Amino acid sequence: MLKMHNVRKSFRTDTIETHALRDFSLEVKEGEFVSVTGPSGSGKTTFLNIAGLLETPTGGQYLLDSEDVSNLNDRQRSRLRNEKIGFIFQGFNLIPDLNLFDNIDVPLRYRGFNAKERRKRIEKVLEQVGLSARAKHLPAQLSGGQQQRVAIARALAGEPRFLLADEPTGNLDSLMARQVMELLEFINEWGTTIVMVTHDPELARRAHRNIQIVDGQVCDLRTLTEQPEAATA
Amino acid sequence: MLELQPMLSALWRNKVPALLISLQLALTLAIISNIVIIIQERIEKIGRPTGIAVEEIIAINVMAIPQDYDMIGAISADMDLLRKLPLVKDATVTNQVPLSQSGSAGTFYTQPNQKVGGENSNRYNTDPNFINTLGLKLVAGRNFTNTEMQYYDPSEIRDVNVAVITQQFAENIYPGQDPIGKPLYDGDSHPIEIIGVVERHLGAWVDWSKAGNVAFFPIARNTQDINYLVRAEPGKRDEVLKTLVEKLSERDPQRVIKTRILSEYVARSYAGDNLMVKVLSIVAATLSFIVALGIVGLTIFWINQRAKQIGVKRALGATRSNISRYFLVENSLIAVTGIALGSAAALIVNQYMVRDYSQPVLTLVPLSICALLVLVVSLTAALAPALRAANISPATATRSV
Repeated sequence: MLKMHNVRKSFRTDTIETHALRDFSLEVKEGEFVSVTGPSGSGKTTFLNIAGLLETPTGGQYLLDSEDVSNLNDRQRSRLRNEKIGFIFQGFNLIPDLNLFDNIDVPLRYRGFNAKERRKRIEKVLEQVGLSARAKHLPAQLSGGQQQRVAIARALAGEPRFLLADEPTGNLDSLMARQVMELLEFINEWGTTIVMVTHDPELARRAHRNIQIVDGQVCDLRTLTEQPEAATA
Repeated sequence: MLELQPMLSALWRNKVPALLISLQLALTLAIISNIVIIIQERIEKIGRPTGIAVEEIIAINVMAIPQDYDMIGAISADMDLLRKLPLVKDATVTNQVPLSQSGSAGTFYTQPNQKVGGENSNRYNTDPNFINTLGLKLVAGRNFTNTEMQYYDPSEIRDVNVAVITQQFAENIYPGQDPIGKPLYDGDSHPIEIIGVVERHLGAWVDWSKAGNVAFFPIARNTQDINYLVRAEPGKRDEVLKTLVEKLSERDPQRVIKTRILSEYVARSYAGDNLMVKVLSIVAATLSFIVALGIVGLTIFWINQRAKQIGVKRALGATRSNISRYFLVENSLIAVTGIALGSAAALIVNQYMVRDYSQPVLTLVPLSICALLVLVVSLTAALAPALRAANISPATATRSV
């Protein structure tokens, strides 16, 4: 599904060059649920940005769905993001001026679906996240957990193969965090590959596999699927 | 993909700034469209044909110093001299210089002793050479002959027998009729026969509502000062001008002689109109500039405010052009609202302008042109910020605030 080989990302200011990712190699298989942890400034967000085609790597190779996406132009990357990748952000990133229905509609409009198709998909995902009754509400009228469920619905509406979650529970209390996590696990069970960046070791352990990023490189790979007690934590 | 419906929702939730810009555009349109028709009217006025070969003519004012000067004799001698000068096409004598804002007028009637219902007209006392000197076009009848010329002292009252008039005056006083042979009366019982019609002569005052009503009479009076008009060969006016004063003074040194080119008189006559055009153009341009600044400011403000949203939209699949287009379409919606309000306001303002200040009527064409202009100004102002918005990185979405 996702394969990075010796990916590098450096940022250059006038005087110094910072290496956010160095010789970063990683493979995520179709249907996997991978958590990514690491200390602040380790390169988690840069990894997420490159994996999500939000930024281009400085060097190395990135294959998404067996397609080399390292050197695509802006338009091609926009299209791939729209079609293959779903994003869930820490701050939910819903558009405050639009109601839930219109928020979920945003990526579908860029996809070019007709109104009927969009409505069908929006109603379906709102149903999945249990917010059908709130379609006309504005984000500000919802709790944080509900907002994140809308954001998940927005990510799912395009039926992406690959879901990228950036601290999806970072702004939520533990109850809501658990609900969101359960929702992600449910989505994963239905076949969507998930890569989730998190600070929370407990959540990280619930993924099939945890990747630690330290200083811009993959540090340790542990397979957590053999530890069933973690899943019930 | 225009995103109209979500755009309208978003606009509705930010309606105060949007409405303010709309109103600013509306006001600009209302003012500019009324300014434009005033400018248009003035430009048309300045551009009106005068019927006169303005660029080739020099006006000469001759003032005799001796009290008992024989002006009649001087006119004949001067005309002989001027008409024989090299590069001079012709010369004529006249009581007033045309298009100079100085002249005389009278009321003329079609019936003897008629006192009401006359037609006002400029009047010039001149000689048979006036048609050729002014470059007028005789369209009916004939010119004066030398035998019809009357030379007399101002103290005498003499009846004039013939007149050449402009076509406009002819149509006003004898509408739909052939004016040749018809009489003009100036309030008494003596008929002045119309013997010829010239196509056009704008007369003395460019602002006069009857400008273009002109009658010419074959008269030269023995006054203390008199005006001559000299027409040079095309392009030779300035050359002729150099020697005129010298030649006339040489012939008779007992006069004060002043010359001025006719185009200078014309420029002075239209100075007010030209100034009005300039001032109003500056007002219109300044107003457009200010409204453009407002739009630039608002668009930049909105884009900065929505930088995160733009990043999120980009992350969700919006291309750069989706983002630019969003802001341009949003700007167009604001502009179109402004234009709708402004068109209504423009027409209402215009009604008052027409009624109370006799300004021209605002028609659909200039209004549409101004509306288009306002739209272009608005879109141009939004263009740079909208293009800049497209450069906001999609990675903005993953940045914590």
